[in-house]
Amino acid sequence: MKKPKFNFDLIIIGSGAGGSAAATIAAREGKRVAIVESNTFGGTSPNVGDVPTKALLHAAQLYHSARHGARFGLRSATIGYNYPSILAWKDIAIKRTGAGGNRKYYENEGITTIYGAAHFLSPHEITVNRRNYSAASFLIATGASWAIPSITGLDKIDYSTPASLFDIHRLPKSLYIIGGGEAGVELAQFMATFGVKVFLAEKSSRLLPDYDQEVGESLAKLLAEKFGVTVLTQTETLATEKENIAHRITYGHAGREHSLRVDHVLVADGRRPSVDIGLENAGVDYTPSGISTNDYLQTSVKHIYAAGDVTGRYSWTHAALLESRIAANNILRRAKLLPDYTGLPKVVFTDPSIATTGLSEDDCLRRNLIIKKATAPINIVARSNTSDFHNGFVKIITDKKGVILGATVMAPSAEEIIHELALAVKYGLTAQQIASLPHAFLSWSESVRVAANKLA
Amino acid sequence: MNTLIDVVKRSGQRPAQSFDREKFHRSIYAACLSVRVPEGEAASIANRVSEAVTLWLNNRPVVTSSDLRRVAGAHLHRYHPDAAYFYHHHRYII
Repeated sequence: MKKPKFNFDLIIIGSGAGGSAAATIAAREGKRVAIVESNTFGGTSPNVGDVPTKALLHAAQLYHSARHGARFGLRSATIGYNYPSILAWKDIAIKRTGAGGNRKYYENEGITTIYGAAHFLSPHEITVNRRNYSAASFLIATGASWAIPSITGLDKIDYSTPASLFDIHRLPKSLYIIGGGEAGVELAQFMATFGVKVFLAEKSSRLLPDYDQEVGESLAKLLAEKFGVTVLTQTETLATEKENIAHRITYGHAGREHSLRVDHVLVADGRRPSVDIGLENAGVDYTPSGISTNDYLQTSVKHIYAAGDVTGRYSWTHAALLESRIAANNILRRAKLLPDYTGLPKVVFTDPSIATTGLSEDDCLRRNLIIKKATAPINIVARSNTSDFHNGFVKIITDKKGVILGATVMAPSAEEIIHELALAVKYGLTAQQIASLPHAFLSWSESVRVAANKLA
Repeated sequence: MNTLIDVVKRSGQRPAQSFDREKFHRSIYAACLSVRVPEGEAASIANRVSEAVTLWLNNRPVVTSSDLRRVAGAHLHRYHPDAAYFYHHHRYII
């Protein structure tokens, strides 16, 4: 039988982290590849996600350090900022990263770029802007978008999501943030650093509910005491209403209704996979929480794969990149690979930053694992003294034989420190092995050795 | 008003047909009447569902007839679950 002819060997829907690596790999193997993007090429992370947020957080952290430099003998009483210039810095950072708006990059790689929303018409065919394209295989990497909770009156006010917050060129005087997850806490700290009165509302009993209990509690204390953020845990936002140029928020807390008036509202209540692309026409199984795939990232239709946030598994750019590479291999080769998420680090870029790897204490409890744990506060290492910084800790969890199962770091540069522990989790190192390595004097990593030593 | 939307029919027949908003409205209205919704309410539900589907069609110049059925059914379910059931299964209900 003659092989059916398609326009492309592979069509990738979405040019973010989940799609970009696969597109490049397939194109370099000589395949006819097309990539479809309905928004800015490069996806969320470099355009409206990680890159702009981290560039802005860096500026905020510099400002905060400078303002509080008097104890080191610095005169910083007159330090100020210009918010539009800070936003301009963010744009420079996006441009320099190169991944944002990178349509030209794909074209130079010989990849056909298609701008528009893709919609499946059949298992081998999509339509974009009235033109139909067929392919032998597809990779769905449409990512996720901010979920809008069902709150009375929310659709009648001008609210922002983390993706649109920086479209506003003036800082509000006060901000109510719905959602105390990663984006919520990062943006709360950013705004509070520049003098915005922030109310941070989270339904759970602590901020960052997916992290160990100590993290949420320490962070709430830090945000409240050092940044003046009002942290409202166990709080349900009930209604929003326009009140002149401001907004009236009604929320439920401790069994009572309260209300407050704020200038602006930020909705950071989690992200939902973007699955409204006619998946039914292709026969791809999905739920509102993502496209279901097998371990090889193959959907219920064997020539259609999915990678990145759209699968609803992990919402990290580095996880999406890993999946994209694995999906490319599995599409192109007979020998299929499995993505190995062991030791995958998760980072929150607050100040101090928070990073975790492996299992959390809650994960171990759910799995009924017998564990040992040790926590070393960072104020016991010499660096804490020379930097005059005392908020944070390193926590390590091992099994009964001392093999490291997971770790949490809350410290300056936690995003760097965590990789030592991520390697330990991935390759089954013991606390004894970590403790036996001399850690550089006056590095924050000394606290890793201290915590490991307690378990050795 | 006929929006410039192409609808690929269940048979996959090409060229596709244009989306006929009136025909679509009538199908929702008929589903509502079939479950004894009063005429005025049926028209109102059909208007609301048609508006929601038209909004959904905004960035989608080509869709399949099963897309329309699925999206319309989901919206109709919010206003009248019985009518939505009838709308989904009318081919199989005698």
